[in-house]
This record gives sequence, C-alpha cells and structure tokens, in this order.
Amino acid sequence: MSTTANTFGDPRLAAHRSGTAFLGMVIFMGSWAMLFAGLFFAYGIVRAGTHAWPPTDLPTLPIGWPGVATAALALSSVALQGALSQARKNGKRVGTLTLVALAAGVVFLNLQISVWRNLWTLGLRPETGTYASVFYGLTVFHALHVAVGLVALLFLSTQSLRHRYTATAHIPLRLWTLYWHMVGAVWLLMYVLLYLV
Amino acid sequence: MELQPIHPAPKSFLGRYVFSTDHKVIAKQFLWSGLLFLLFGGLLAMLIRWQWAYPGRSVPVVGQALFAKSNGIITPASYNAVFTMHGLIMIFFAITPILIGCLGNFTIPLMIGARDMAFPRLNMASFWTFVASMCFIVLSFFVQLGSAAAGWTTYPPLSTKIGTPGLGQTFVVVAIFLTGAATIMGAVNYVTTVIRFRAPGMGYMRMPLTVWGLWLTSILNVLFVPVLGAAALLLFLDRVFGTQFFISGAAAVRGGGDPILFQHLFWIFGHPEVYILILPAWGVVADFVSFFSRKPAYWYKGSVIAMIAITVLSAIVYGHHMFTTGMNPMLGKAFMILTLIISAPAELLFLNWLHTIWKGSVRLTATMLFTLGVIFVFALGGLTGIYLATISTDLYLHDTMFVVGHFHLTMAAASFLASFAAIHFWFPKMFGRKLNETLGKAHFWTSLVFITLLFVGQLAVGYAGQPRRLWDPHQYTFVQHLAPLNRWTSYFGFALGLSQLLFIFNFFRNVFAPANAEANPWGVGTLEWTIPSPPPPHNFDVIPTVLRGPHEFANPEVQTMLGRDWVAQNEVLPRDAETPGPSVALARGVKST
Repeated sequence: MSTTANTFGDPRLAAHRSGTAFLGMVIFMGSWAMLFAGLFFAYGIVRAGTHAWPPTDLPTLPIGWPGVATAALALSSVALQGALSQARKNGKRVGTLTLVALAAGVVFLNLQISVWRNLWTLGLRPETGTYASVFYGLTVFHALHVAVGLVALLFLSTQSLRHRYTATAHIPLRLWTLYWHMVGAVWLLMYVLLYLV
Repeated sequence: MELQPIHPAPKSFLGRYVFSTDHKVIAKQFLWSGLLFLLFGGLLAMLIRWQWAYPGRSVPVVGQALFAKSNGIITPASYNAVFTMHGLIMIFFAITPILIGCLGNFTIPLMIGARDMAFPRLNMASFWTFVASMCFIVLSFFVQLGSAAAGWTTYPPLSTKIGTPGLGQTFVVVAIFLTGAATIMGAVNYVTTVIRFRAPGMGYMRMPLTVWGLWLTSILNVLFVPVLGAAALLLFLDRVFGTQFFISGAAAVRGGGDPILFQHLFWIFGHPEVYILILPAWGVVADFVSFFSRKPAYWYKGSVIAMIAITVLSAIVYGHHMFTTGMNPMLGKAFMILTLIISAPAELLFLNWLHTIWKGSVRLTATMLFTLGVIFVFALGGLTGIYLATISTDLYLHDTMFVVGHFHLTMAAASFLASFAAIHFWFPKMFGRKLNETLGKAHFWTSLVFITLLFVGQLAVGYAGQPRRLWDPHQYTFVQHLAPLNRWTSYFGFALGLSQLLFIFNFFRNVFAPANAEANPWGVGTLEWTIPSPPPPHNFDVIPTVLRGPHEFANPEVQTMLGRDWVAQNEVLPRDAETPGPSVALARGVKST
C-alpha cells in the first residue's frame, strides 16, 4: 500500500514496510468485517420479525450450485495462499497458482450470476419483500468485493508471471491474499446463513 | 538504520498543493474544507434560529435569493432540509474534518516523531474521497425537491422513498457512505502510524494526550463507521433498487422490513460517534492545561486509562438513544447503568485537568482560554446528559429541545471551542505565523458567552416541554409562552454567528502573510516544536530519540541547568551529554522501531 519502491536495499527496511502494510490491511479488514457484521445483523433482525421464512409463494434458494461456488471460492483461496508461500521461498509456481486462483474466482462469479438470473426469472425480485431484499442485498454487495478481488488477481497474475514476487518483495500478494481470504470467509458465512439455515 | 527514508519533495504545483501525500498539506486541505463547511452549517443554523424567532416571516438579506418561490419565507419543506443538513454538515463535514482530518493528520506524525503517515497515498485518497462526498452534499441542494429532509439521523420511513422521494436524500445517503469510507481510510492510517512509526523511546505512555485522544478516536472510527456504512448501504438499496429492509406497514408487501432496524444500526455507530468527536477534544484539552499551566499533566496515566475506559464503554451504551423506541425494560436498565458508569471515568478526566491547573502558573493565552471554555461547556453538557441517560427523566425529555441543548453543549460547543484552541495553538506550526492574541481573546469571550446562552436557552425551553425540530413550535398552545425565550435565544445565536467574523478576520489576516513565527513560540517540549515552523516536507532531519514524557515542566533540575521551565522530549541535558545518564540509557533500552 505504501511505496513499494526500493525494498531490495535493506532487509530490515523491507520487513518493516511489509509488516506495516500487513498491519494496515488487518485493521482495514477488521473495519470491513464490521460492515458485513452490520449487514448480517440486519438479516437477523429482519428474519426474526418474519413468520414464514422463506415465504411459501416465492422460490427457495438452491443449495447445489451455490455449494459448488463455495467450493470454487475455497479452492481459489487455497491456491492464492499457495502462491504466497511459493513467493516466500522463491518458488516457481507463483504464476500458475495465481492463475488457478483467478480462474476459480471467475467460476464463482459466473455461478453467482447464473443463480441470480435463474431466481429473477422465477419471480424473486427485490420488491417482493425482505426475503429477496436480504438475498440480493447481501450477495450482490459481496459479489462486488469478489469483482474487485478478481481485478486484483488479474494484476497479481500478470505481475507474478513476470516473476515480480520474491521472498523479499511480495507485499501486494500478501495483502490481496488476506483480502481474498476475508471475502471467502464472508461468503462461507453467507452460504450457511442465507442458503442452508 | 533509517526506517523512514526521506523522499524528494514534489516540485510541481499539483504535487505540492493538490495531489499531495504530505500529511501536513492534507491536514491543511481538511482544515480549509472543514472551515468552509463550518461556515455553511453555521449559516443554516442562522436560518433555523430565524425561523424560531419569527416563524413564517421572510428571511432578511438572503431570503429572496434562497427562497424565491415563497417570497423569502422558509417553507416547512425547506425548513426540514435546512435543519437536517445543518446537523449532517456540522457533524460529518465540519467537526470531523477539522478535529480528525486536520488535527489528526497534522499532529500525529509530528508528535510521535515520524516523517509522514504509514500510508501517504491512502491518506491522499482519503481526502479526495471526502471531496467526492462534499460534491454530493452540495449537489443535493440543486436537485428537484431539495436536499435531505429526514433529520440528521435519517430515520426511515421518513428517509425512504415514501417520506422523501427526492434525489437529494439519495445523494446525501451516498455522501454519508463516501465520507464514511474516507474516515475509515484516515483511521486505518492513524492507527497503523501510531503503532508502527513512533520514534525510538516514544513509548505509549510518553505520547502526548492529543495523540492518545486521536488514536482512540481512530480505533472507534475503524470499528463503528462501517456500521453506519451498512445502514447507509441498506437505505440506498431501499431507495434505488426497491428492496424492503426498512419499509413496513401498508407500503410493504408481505410484512415488509423493520424501520427500527435502522435505529439500531444507526446508534451502534452513533453513540461511539459522540466519543469519536469528543476524544480528540479531550486529548488537546488534557495537553493544553498542562502546557499553559506550566505543570506536568496531573496523573497522566489516569487520564489515559479514563480515555480507554470511555472508548470501551462507548461501544456498549447505544440503547440509551432508543429508550422511547420500545425496548425490553431489563435491556433499557442495562443501557442506563452502563451509560451512567461513563460519568466515572469522565469525572476522573475532569479532576485531572482541574488538578493540573491547580496552583499552576496559568498563562491565559487564547489557546488556554478556549481550553478552559471547553471544560466549562463540557461540564454543562455532561451534567445534562445524566438526565437523559436516566430512563425516568428521559421519557419526559426525549425529543425535546433539552436533548438539542445537551448535545450541542457537548458535541458542538466543546468540539467547536477545542477546534479553536487547537487552531490557535498549532497555527504557527502550520502556517509559520501566530494568530493575533487580542482578536483571539475577543473571539473567545464572545463565543463562550453567546454559545452558553444559546444552548442553555435550548435546555430551558426543552425542560419546559418544547419538542425539537418543529417548523413553528408556537402553534402548540403549551409552547406559546416560550416565544420570547426562543426569540432571545435566537438573538444569542445571531450574536454567536457575528462574533465568528473576528476569527475569519484573524485567520485571513495571517494565513497568507509571510512566516515569522519562532520554532517554539509557546515553550513546549513536544516533538513538533523542536523543528522549524512550518516544518520541512520530511519533518525531521534526524528521527528524534525520545527521552521523556510530553509534559516535563517546572522541573527544578532543568531550571538550574537550562534556565527555563520546560525541556523538549528529545533534549539531552548537559549533564547526560557528558556521561550518559539513566535517562539516555533508558531510551536506548526501549525497542527502536
């Protein structure tokens, strides 16, 4: 996040920079977690005040394809973590693993879009009440974060294919990995709370 | 080893003054925007006071320009927008940028001995996100049906499409979300900077209390502004995409959502926000009473502990805003007790300040006067808070002008006076020139007298039962006899508005004039006063090594050795320079960052 130039000079300087950037990202993710906590709180209050959840005349959310999407996002997270640990030991597979993470992320977003389209045609619209409001509100806001992450993964892939990330210089990879885990963790919670229970 | 290399200073105009990553420049940018919006919000307040003094009479001077269609009269619809935007602008666009954006940016790196913030580019992004937010606020006044008009709390159903169908309300919701994002960016920066970039020897218990206040504020910002973001986001979805989070009753299909949900989200943020706005003020007050009484701050650690305790407690008391919303009485009682507990650490802070002043060589500079003013108005505001924290009295006082008087004394008067204390104190460091003391003192006395009369007037009519926010309160027979009091309160308000001209004059007379201030005009030992005024872009040529706390005044040993009553935090005493004494050894023992 802060300037990444000239981190090759002094290893202590590089370590301090990396640590500072990571701490900043942790604090930022903590902040963003509170935003999602607010959204989940809203879901809880709305659901507690509704008698029939889901309403009997509306389509129920599918479990199968979103489950596959969950697996894809998990795979993506694991691959990116793998890329990070490869970078840490100057490994060769940074580029490949980042590309795998990117591809799995794209699969997730595509599945999401198809789920939305399907439910939309079945008649689940935001104006049909709180059930649909919660579903679209939370999943679309989450998907925006996935989209931001995918742009970042594209950038990380191009950089890592050019072997830009080494054991001493991989701050962007480290920070975006944390972001990606966060997006994945929020999704897991959403999958359990919105689709399963 | 140097952990913060000196970057070359930018040469171009854009790089130096517009898209700058220098925390001191960004602080000034926040100061300018904050003061501009303070003026804007203040003028809106004048309109409210005019309406309450002479309901339905056309506004003099500006009336024809602002309310052309109604012949200069503030219509109920315009009035709703005026008082709503007065609140929102003052909180998010005046106090926040001045106390947190400007003061935080300017003082944190300088006072902890850093070259800049941890993430200078994020800092710049924070300001420009704030600018985008300001644009939405200004634009909201020029769309059909005018700006937001659902009160600063933006409660649904009034704030949904049903209550306020105009685009203005949507713009304001977007602005709230954006300014929240800007605040979070700043807060992440402040929290990280304090953790990672304190100079060697600058332990947490050697930080100036200003930095403590700002740091705790930033922690609250990081945790609770996003909850406001969630509320704004859901409201935005309701307004733009037709979701039904807050829509209920006849307007909703199938049971619908819950307007009370917004109140929860809003106050989970809103109560910490109260302390977000006052903690920086407490921090500077705690430092200034020491600086201008020429005494160490009494029980420094106690003040720190009290501020931490208030920070923690502020997160778990939000229910006291909702006593009349309808709440389980057990829950209400818990919120009441937790709220009342806050008065204990607050009391401790007060006693520490008074004890610091006690028997000190008090120098009544403009800064010190404003500081004493903060203590006075905050005492009034704090004491009236106890009535509102107690359920039995709150049921009567809720949504009356008493609440308005209370939070204006705490959030408005105290933050406002603290801002001026801070501006007077750091003006030489920011702009290289002292503000005029005589004008400053005149500004202080007029401000203090009129601000107290103004807000005590509000307390009085509120205690008599006048509800807040009414376009013409005197339409109720039981309020009619309060008309003269309301009118007098308005006169005090106008006088307060006029007396700000003294500050505007003082500010503009000095801000562009050539720099002539000394490096340390106040004789204070914190790190920012050890470097020239204004400081070079990289702040410190050599990162200082801190040897002592920020309030080292009236030390007899220092007096004999240096012939003055203060010593800088990093100053090596002649005795220690020859043979490294215990203080130097201690500093070396501290883990260097």
